[in-house]
Amino acid sequence: MNALLSSIRYFAKKNGSFLIFLILAIIASIAVPNFFALDNFAIIIKQSAIPLIACIGMTLVLMTGGIDLSMGYIVGFASITSGLLAKIYQWPIPAVVLATFIVGIAFGSLNGFIIQFMKVPAFITTLGSGYIIYGLAQIVSQGSIVSRLPEGFLAIGRTEMLGLPSSVFIAAVVLLIFYIIINKGIFGRSLRAFGYNAKAAEVSGVPISKINVSVYIASGLLAALAGMLFTIRVNAAQPNMGGGNFNFEVITAAIVGGTSLFGGVGSITGTLFGVLSIKIIENCINLMGISYHLYMAVQGVIILIAIIFENVKNKAL
Amino acid sequence: MKSRVYLKKILGLIFLVAAFLIVASFVPNFLTISNLLNVVRQSSIIGICAVGMTLVIIIKGIDLSISGLLAFSPMVSGILMLHGHNIFFSLAAGILVGLSMGFFNGLMVSTLSVPAFITTLVVGQVSEGLSLIMNGGRSIGGFPDSYVFLGNGTLFGIPISDYLMLIFFLIGFIILKFTSLGNHILALGGNETVLRQEGISVTKIQFFVYVFASFCTSVAGLLLSAQLDTVHPIQGEAYQLDSIAACVIGGVDMAGGYGSVSMAMVGALIIGSLRNSLNLLGVHPFMQNIFVGIIIISIVFITGRIRQRNRKATRGVL
Repeated sequence: MNALLSSIRYFAKKNGSFLIFLILAIIASIAVPNFFALDNFAIIIKQSAIPLIACIGMTLVLMTGGIDLSMGYIVGFASITSGLLAKIYQWPIPAVVLATFIVGIAFGSLNGFIIQFMKVPAFITTLGSGYIIYGLAQIVSQGSIVSRLPEGFLAIGRTEMLGLPSSVFIAAVVLLIFYIIINKGIFGRSLRAFGYNAKAAEVSGVPISKINVSVYIASGLLAALAGMLFTIRVNAAQPNMGGGNFNFEVITAAIVGGTSLFGGVGSITGTLFGVLSIKIIENCINLMGISYHLYMAVQGVIILIAIIFENVKNKAL
Repeated sequence: MKSRVYLKKILGLIFLVAAFLIVASFVPNFLTISNLLNVVRQSSIIGICAVGMTLVIIIKGIDLSISGLLAFSPMVSGILMLHGHNIFFSLAAGILVGLSMGFFNGLMVSTLSVPAFITTLVVGQVSEGLSLIMNGGRSIGGFPDSYVFLGNGTLFGIPISDYLMLIFFLIGFIILKFTSLGNHILALGGNETVLRQEGISVTKIQFFVYVFASFCTSVAGLLLSAQLDTVHPIQGEAYQLDSIAACVIGGVDMAGGYGSVSMAMVGALIIGSLRNSLNLLGVHPFMQNIFVGIIIISIVFITGRIRQRNRKATRGVL
């Protein structure tokens, strides 16, 4: 009996986010009409794919004990640049993709450089750079929205395979790559060590400056990719895409996924279930016809519950 | 050494005078009495928010809930007013809602020891969401005259907003300079362990600071809505960066433990005159934000460097 209890405890401790996901899915299936349908599951998966890409970047940043508040604005900047290059300047598609990635890497390395080498706290750096990037995006776009993008560009994220758009498969590939990086290589261990105790990691020979900068580069790159895929999904490029609300959604998903706010703890699979969980909640709010604005308030409550849950878990289990 | 300390204290003031002179010589219409009064009136919102922000930054925190709370409190009061409730009752209700949000900030930071930037971000987003829900995302307006007078009226030729800013300045000043609570706040930013060893409740101080900050934000929000005669559900977003910038530019140390309310006031006036002159020159607000963002990051970087050098210097002496 005790062995069973302790194994259940161990499972709960290791797979908290999966349990949250499971409980939410069961409650939604019972309580919300039209939730339990194959079409609806496809919608949830489609809606989760792009935030998941960004959320993996945020998970890495949170694991170092930092935060990236500029992520939503990088999404907006990537959206408007990819749209402009593809439609107005008519660059070839691979060049557009490459340019978007370079934009993300550039902003990410700027954040990382300021945080690591200029020793400015992460939330100040990314808050400031967020405003800067948003301003730049507005200047680039001249206040206009680029819609009806070229077919070739749209094909990147819209090609149907097995009934799902290709953006889902892109997200799956990103998930797999980062799962391998975090769990199988030396990078993941170094990242955890750095997040737990930066001083101890440095003394033990972990290249902390390399890790700290590369985490923000990854976050910028993934944000740019997410921005491009968002643009493709709605077929319109605009600087207002993403923004503060997107930041918040991504941070919520990462925390629900079991990423610790204090650094050092986090997993890619947890993040997957975190994103799915909050998208189930969004889906239910839509299905029940409640105001979308409620979603923002509900996210705050979810973060609070997740934090209390983590505190209780650390004490009780 | 003494002169350097003195220089650090008046650095903000030098900035203000320099910025003022540069602006006055370049921008037409800046140096008129009506525009200067306007600058102070516009700065009053940032100034009141910055008083609370100063205390929060001194205890090594940050308040990112301004963006939401600056709209949520007036939204509550505004809806009550439009339903014909007494003005004092409505204002009190709005402030009470703000205080309860500050209570949440304090609770999560002190009891659950969640990092301040996450806590306040969450509370800010929740209040923004709630203010959007309350009126379906639309703004409200057409308030009673006595409320609008609070924002646009004058007393002896000086806007009432300026008096309010002065009152908040004095409250913050007295708390920090003349009460034991102020000493504890500064000590909490400097060395928490010593404070705990003295047997002083850190939790109480954190609670007080976050509740006070949200009180400042609520009053600032009510004042802003009185000035505009509208409540827009996302009116706070523009003031989030500015109130942090006011503290940082004034010389409040982001690393905690050092700062005063007068620094924040000077910073608020710098930001106010900067925004005003850039508006007069026709620079778009998005460009202004880029500028403010760069200023914040560079000042935090420079003060960090100075601190590092000072630490190295004292290590040599000891």
